Amino acid sequence: MAASTSQHALISIKPAAPAASFSCGKRAGNARFVSATGCCPGSRKFGLVCAANSQSSVIEPVHLPSSPESGSTPKKSGESALILIRHGESLWNEKNLFTGCVDVPLTPKGVNEAIEAGKRICNIPVDVIYTSSLIRAQMTAMLAMMQHRRKKVPIIVHSESERAHQWSQVYSEETKKQSIPVVTAWQLNERMYGELQGLNKQETADRFGKDQVHEWRRSYDIPPPNGESLEMCAERAVSYFKDQIVPQLVAGKHVMIAAHGNSLRSIIMHLDKLTSQEVISLELSTGIPMLYIFKEGKFIRRGSPAGPSEAGVYAYTKKLAQYRQKLDGM
Amino acid sequence: MTAAAATAHHAIVSTRSTRLWNAKNSRFDKNVCLVSVGSCCPGNRKLGLLCASGSQSSVTEPVQQPSNGKGDHSPKKSKESSLILIRHGESMWNEKNLFTGCVDVPLTPKGVQEAIEAGSRIRNLPIDVIYTSSMVRAQMTAMLAMMQHRRKKVPIIMHNESEQAHSWSKIYSEDTKKLSIPVITAWQLNERMYGELQGLNKQETADQFGKEQVHEWRRSYGIPPPNGESLEMCAERAVSYFNDQVVPQLTSGKHVMVAAHANSLRSIIMHLDRLTSQEVISLELSTGIPMLYIFKEGKFVRRGSPVGPSEASVYAYTKNLAQYRQKLDSMVQ
Repeated sequence: MAASTSQHALISIKPAAPAASFSCGKRAGNARFVSATGCCPGSRKFGLVCAANSQSSVIEPVHLPSSPESGSTPKKSGESALILIRHGESLWNEKNLFTGCVDVPLTPKGVNEAIEAGKRICNIPVDVIYTSSLIRAQMTAMLAMMQHRRKKVPIIVHSESERAHQWSQVYSEETKKQSIPVVTAWQLNERMYGELQGLNKQETADRFGKDQVHEWRRSYDIPPPNGESLEMCAERAVSYFKDQIVPQLVAGKHVMIAAHGNSLRSIIMHLDKLTSQEVISLELSTGIPMLYIFKEGKFIRRGSPAGPSEAGVYAYTKKLAQYRQKLDGM
Repeated sequence: MTAAAATAHHAIVSTRSTRLWNAKNSRFDKNVCLVSVGSCCPGNRKLGLLCASGSQSSVTEPVQQPSNGKGDHSPKKSKESSLILIRHGESMWNEKNLFTGCVDVPLTPKGVQEAIEAGSRIRNLPIDVIYTSSMVRAQMTAMLAMMQHRRKKVPIIMHNESEQAHSWSKIYSEDTKKLSIPVITAWQLNERMYGELQGLNKQETADQFGKEQVHEWRRSYGIPPPNGESLEMCAERAVSYFNDQVVPQLTSGKHVMVAAHANSLRSIIMHLDRLTSQEVISLELSTGIPMLYIFKEGKFVRRGSPVGPSEASVYAYTKNLAQYRQKLDSMVQ
């Protein structure tokens, strides 16, 4: 099937692991998400135009393409896109310090990674953005969206106080329609690293012993002193995802999440039903967005959208092909 | 002020009309604009004096004392701190010509570039603490500007919104803390809140309220738009914050950068330069061009705008800043 072939191209497996075919139903040992070249081999364009009803959440009322009758969308064709982006290099990554929830910004490299990620998602619809309360994830989202073709403006929602809420009100309906709300949530923060935060790897090994540190970094449920285990991180990240984000997807909204290594792994563990063993070895590329399609209550992984210079399928579903065509026609 | 410094001032402030910075009275005579300028000082003079007296301990890291520095003997007279003001660059609503106010919209690629440019101009100036508003366009501007700072300290945003936020953001290494620059976000430094004009374009607004009314809101000092702030109200909370929080830092010798918005910065400059409400209305601040003040003996002395790296001229305004620059030059990166 075309879909499983595309999965092969996307997931690069570590040499030591058993050669495995990765398809939606099975799981390979030790799988890694790494930078992928083409989304699909060859240069097949997915050019089908869907004559069926378009989702009103994908297409703005003012920009309807000629065919659809928006009133009668059969439930079956409802699908939403979920994009996950891990932020790139931070100033403490560069210095090799444990970061956790310390709010350090991106390096120039991290900025470029965000811009690159943006190029890959510029044709994928985004209705709402979720990010953590840390600037490196927020900047990543903003920099990525700078090149989005739909040209909607991401606006950070402020509800930390009554005044913050009042002061950020928008008074034009037209402007609101051209906006993408950005919701910041501590629950999407990086795993909190407790007393390791700010230490370099040598200091930490000296202070606590090399094996102990390895255990904290690689175990699922053993937290560093005053910190979170990956399990604890997953608990609050996945709860938030289920409570806040899934309802958006169910309502047909296209969602982007810009967050961190561990909070995203936690969510992927949930989406792909990974075991704790599998999630420990899951590594997410920075700056390479991951795409899931949410359809009929299920999450289907669609790997990573191709960069603009890569020949390949540029849409994974008829809906996304339509969306792309609409952008082309604007 | 020496003659040289006064000359420097003239060169820095480029005026739209014939109105000039009046160095004697330390005020603007009329309609002045702070705009992008060429060099800080005419000619190719380098301020190469090495100060043999004690260096400020707040400028110099204990581990990085220059050879002749004796940290303890700073005579009060030489104590000074720098204050850098940066206005963020183009936002996505600037580009669309919409009234923004306190709506939290991000920078455009141009605005990102402006922040990076601003950073190249301040990379040799010491910075110990950064203040910014609660809006991402000012925060991003600060972070992007600091990416090129030569001292290579890491700006870290302070979180006090809850007990958890505070405890989760703690740093457990003293060395790391020393190489950090705290970044404090404050709503009091936000842009002027534009009330019911937020999100409207200029045409919509003129249609809805009438052209003259809108002009009055935009250009008056004391008249707020519906449910919004007047410039006076913005100034009240921005300057209070500045006096309560920022000045004590400067007094204790810390070097401060403030990354904020047109109206909150105008308010602060109005206070620093003792402008009248008439003068502040016509004050326009360049985006991406940082403004430098030296705080010394309780007074703010404007030093215009630090030059970009490719411009030949004086690169430091005071002996202390010259020393700081030399220290950076001698540090092995």
